[in-house]
Amino acid sequence: MAEKIQHIKKQEPSEEEQRARDLREIEDALIDNKEVILKSLSTLQHADDRGVISLLHGLFADGDKVLQVLAETMNNEENTKAIRHLLLLMGIAGKLDVEKIEPLLLKFNEGLRRAGEAGDTEEKTGYMDLVKSLKDPEVNRAITLLLTFLKGMGQETEQDMKTGGESPD
Amino acid sequence: MADKMAVKINGKEVTVDENVSALNVLTDDEQQVPSVCYHPSLGAIETCDTCIVEKNGELVRACSSGVSRGDEFNTVSKDVKDAQKIAIDRILYNHELYCTVCDYNNGNCEIHNAVKEMKIEHQSVPFEPKPYDKDRNSFYRYDPDQCILCGRCVEACQDVQVTETLTIDWEREQPRVIWDNDVPIEESSCVSCGHCSTVCPCNAMMETGMEGEAGYMTGMNEDTLRPLIDITKGVETGYSSILAVSDMEASMRDSRIDKTKTVCTYCGVGCSFDVWTKGRDILKIEPQQEAPANGISTCVKGKFGWDFVNSEERLTKPLIREGQMFREAEWTEALELIKQKFTDIKEEHGADALSFISSSKCTNEESYLMQKLARGVIGTNNIDNCSRYCQSPATMGLFRTVGYGGDSGSITDIEQSELIITVGSNTSESHPVLSTRVKSSHKLHGQKLIVSDLRKHEMAQRSDLFIRPESGTDLIWLSAVTKYIVDQGWAAESFLEQNVNGVEHYKETLAPYTMEYASEMTGVSQEDLIRTAEMIHEAGSVCILWAMGVTQHQGGSDTSTAISNLLLITGNYGRPGTGAYPLRGHNNVQGASDFGSMPDRFPGYQFVSNDEVRSRFEEAWQADIPKEKGLNNHEMVEAIHEGKLKSMYLKGEDMGIVDSNINYVHGAFEKLDFFVVQDLFLTTTAQFADVVLPASPSLEKDGTFTNTERRIQRLYQALEPLGDSRPDWKIIMDIANQLDAGWKYDHPSEIMAEAASLTPLFAGVTYEKLEGYKSLQWPVHADGTDEPMLFAERFPFEDGRARLYPVEWTEPVQYEEEYDLQVNNGRLLEHFHEGNMTYQSEGITRGTPRAFVEVSPQLAKERSLSDGTVVRLISPYGAVKLPCLVTERVQKKEVYIPLNDDGDGAVNRLTSSYADKDTDTPAYKEVRVKMEVLEEGGTSPLPKINHRFGNPQPQVGVQVEKKWQRSDYTFPGDVVKGEDR
Repeated sequence: MAEKIQHIKKQEPSEEEQRARDLREIEDALIDNKEVILKSLSTLQHADDRGVISLLHGLFADGDKVLQVLAETMNNEENTKAIRHLLLLMGIAGKLDVEKIEPLLLKFNEGLRRAGEAGDTEEKTGYMDLVKSLKDPEVNRAITLLLTFLKGMGQETEQDMKTGGESPD
Repeated sequence: MADKMAVKINGKEVTVDENVSALNVLTDDEQQVPSVCYHPSLGAIETCDTCIVEKNGELVRACSSGVSRGDEFNTVSKDVKDAQKIAIDRILYNHELYCTVCDYNNGNCEIHNAVKEMKIEHQSVPFEPKPYDKDRNSFYRYDPDQCILCGRCVEACQDVQVTETLTIDWEREQPRVIWDNDVPIEESSCVSCGHCSTVCPCNAMMETGMEGEAGYMTGMNEDTLRPLIDITKGVETGYSSILAVSDMEASMRDSRIDKTKTVCTYCGVGCSFDVWTKGRDILKIEPQQEAPANGISTCVKGKFGWDFVNSEERLTKPLIREGQMFREAEWTEALELIKQKFTDIKEEHGADALSFISSSKCTNEESYLMQKLARGVIGTNNIDNCSRYCQSPATMGLFRTVGYGGDSGSITDIEQSELIITVGSNTSESHPVLSTRVKSSHKLHGQKLIVSDLRKHEMAQRSDLFIRPESGTDLIWLSAVTKYIVDQGWAAESFLEQNVNGVEHYKETLAPYTMEYASEMTGVSQEDLIRTAEMIHEAGSVCILWAMGVTQHQGGSDTSTAISNLLLITGNYGRPGTGAYPLRGHNNVQGASDFGSMPDRFPGYQFVSNDEVRSRFEEAWQADIPKEKGLNNHEMVEAIHEGKLKSMYLKGEDMGIVDSNINYVHGAFEKLDFFVVQDLFLTTTAQFADVVLPASPSLEKDGTFTNTERRIQRLYQALEPLGDSRPDWKIIMDIANQLDAGWKYDHPSEIMAEAASLTPLFAGVTYEKLEGYKSLQWPVHADGTDEPMLFAERFPFEDGRARLYPVEWTEPVQYEEEYDLQVNNGRLLEHFHEGNMTYQSEGITRGTPRAFVEVSPQLAKERSLSDGTVVRLISPYGAVKLPCLVTERVQKKEVYIPLNDDGDGAVNRLTSSYADKDTDTPAYKEVRVKMEVLEEGGTSPLPKINHRFGNPQPQVGVQVEKKWQRSDYTFPGDVVKGEDR
């Protein structure tokens, strides 16, 4: 004869039993991860020495508020522009073809060196001197290079631009 | 194979299939054509214009353009790119890109992906918020500011789900999606099937479970989120960098969100989908196009009804009865107790004093193990499952006539059939996703629909012909229609000659079923009966769908047989779009019986009494198995009352609520010497147990379910079992091994392999063949081929021929005159069975808090009833107390009680122990009661937010023409060409 019953006596371990079980679990975890825990502790010590811990504490304790202030601060035109420029510059840096620039830079360096050596001079260069100079192979190479560069610079590049057009907001 | 033809794509000659869209041809050729509004399951919607390409020099939408021989396509010209850019600009005007802090940023946002693929850096028209607030119900929310007006949700709601709630109002200045005639979501006809959030290409329609949960940074306050969105947009140097960051964040999400394929645990349609989990949290259900039964479709239960899995009421430890309470115990103690009691009872009273009941909620493997435990370890055939309560009569009717007890074909056959007849099936509430295929074909493709039912439910409202025969008289009108067809010379004579036995004799037995007699007995006019016969005759293909309105009668098997007879006479078997579809009610009703939890059959319907079969199992299991068939559920209850049956082990079935005449069943439970119940919750049944074992639901285990199409599908474990609960197969194995059975299954695949090796019906079934969304429809032959459509070659009898099986009408149970109301009972869309799973969903319970009794306006007037009047209904077997709901779904002196109550309103307090004469399925539908009014003037049992009070707005699709007619719309192709001029 088994009547309908609804009451369940939950298996609730006593407070001490539960505490002992929890401690055991923590102990196991500590032993299993001894190395990394010791290292972390010393890292934390260093961080605390420099006041990082209290800083982080403040940050996390009021996480949402801090994030909001941070977000609002960042969210002004100057800051967003700055980040935007940084991103653009990074983009350009990524596009530079270092292999092609290297010889140019070397040449540029050499030019600078000689100019430096010559120092400020009273010597003047006349029109004829200029024409004559074109026969000097070193000068001729430099001028050809400059002209080619100018040609490239004049080419239409609007299609690759990221800063132009309507701003996307 | 489709015919092939040559076209040119970007100057290159390509051979393509005929009858496919330009978009398909181009994407097959790996051309990058964006297509934001296009969804393969919805077809061309034509709202987004992003798929514009050049076809023979004209700019056209690729999604809606056909392909002819010799067409030349260009997908790369400047005009094409310009037109696509205009289209995406218009989308971005409607949708703010804040991907990294968007819950939809999971790698599958179609706007994000289109912007990335098109290498869009900036938009020409800036985003502008719309003047509308977000709207939500318990399950999903709509954000007009993110909505790109692609219309996918509307297409899905109108033409796939066919609830017809959503439209886009193209006429207002700022178009938006609206519900019904522009009411809040909660006040609309929305049934929360989830189609809209499933197909939405972005975060406009989103499951509430995702909100603030999916992303790393999406859970923050709106106050913080807004400046962050502004920063993101302020710093961005173009979309590619913002998208790169959000892509990174999306990949990080992969590490903490698991996407696991599972099969729905509710009805027998067998929807499969991915479940997204984060820890134990269920974020959302994500249907997949490749899901064989449902594709992108779900109902509210499958899409949103999973709260029960993490319910605090779940059992997490075995319970042992101790005096007036249950005590939580460890598994070792519970298993030891079970071993001791089983052994004692077997020694004292013999193996047949023990009984076992499998569950249609459990997997095939678990059904197999349960009967193996009963037969192979204990040594009794007293094993059954709950299909005894619903579908055994249908199986019987099919065994008699066509030889296989399952649906003749697939859901696709139902979809393509020319005429659907439903008999005693509330399809749109009981098998919601399957019903959408009928509703959709009926709405869009000229399918005809005849509904025979007591109630004017949704399917009846949609039907071409609705007949309302007296309860329990279906056999009569079915036979009369069959006779009329024969008399008119419309029988499929050549089909009958080639395929069917007993034709002439059967025709003779139809003699009594004249139109006059049928009309008199059923109350259906002769005109309607003749019309039914004519529609069957005129249709090139017919499917008959039936359910509990047929089977839960004393003549349930006979009526099922009459249905099959009608299909045979008209040649509606063995062809696409034809056949018999007894719609299975639970996720694994089919599989529970398929895998042998039946008192007279081994897996694959092999008879226990067959010596060859039995010795095969005896050899494999190393056990002696009794030859005599065991007791079915119904007989078990009787045997307990008679004192012959002493012990029962029952899993996953609240028999104390769902069996008929439950007062009698409860009496039996009380008499058991030892009762073990295995369930998720302390159900009414479990409350009678001596030991309750905590089981794991479908999401916490591996296995297979077989749906109504005979389709075997795998479910994968998505979550760890909660607490100390265990998957049923492990518990059964634990018990068996406690009894020294020595079973060693590490995974359900091994159980399936064993079952397949012993069962010709499943000979070729392996887990590899069922991987992911792959499935098999039995019979599965040794070479791995299956049979989505049965009877194409032959019927599974020795001579390969079907049989016409004469049947006679059985009069329903007769009651004294004072019991003047006919009680009909069944499901509601949003709850399942007694509701121990669905009431755990806060959202479902908000909309539908409790069971009630539907009364007709006539009866309400006669008895002064109104919504909320509390009445007592009294049958000779018991009484229920329920609030009234007045509705035209029922008529005259018929009332309807949803079966989802396990308390004072449990309908089986009223039902009798009368049963189908052939299968012992309770005659749940043969109940009459008298009514007492208890309290007048209460509040309606259905709150105003229930979808039944909504006003659907039927239309076909999203009606994009109205968008095109707007004065501010110009086709991007025209804009581009205009510029050229």
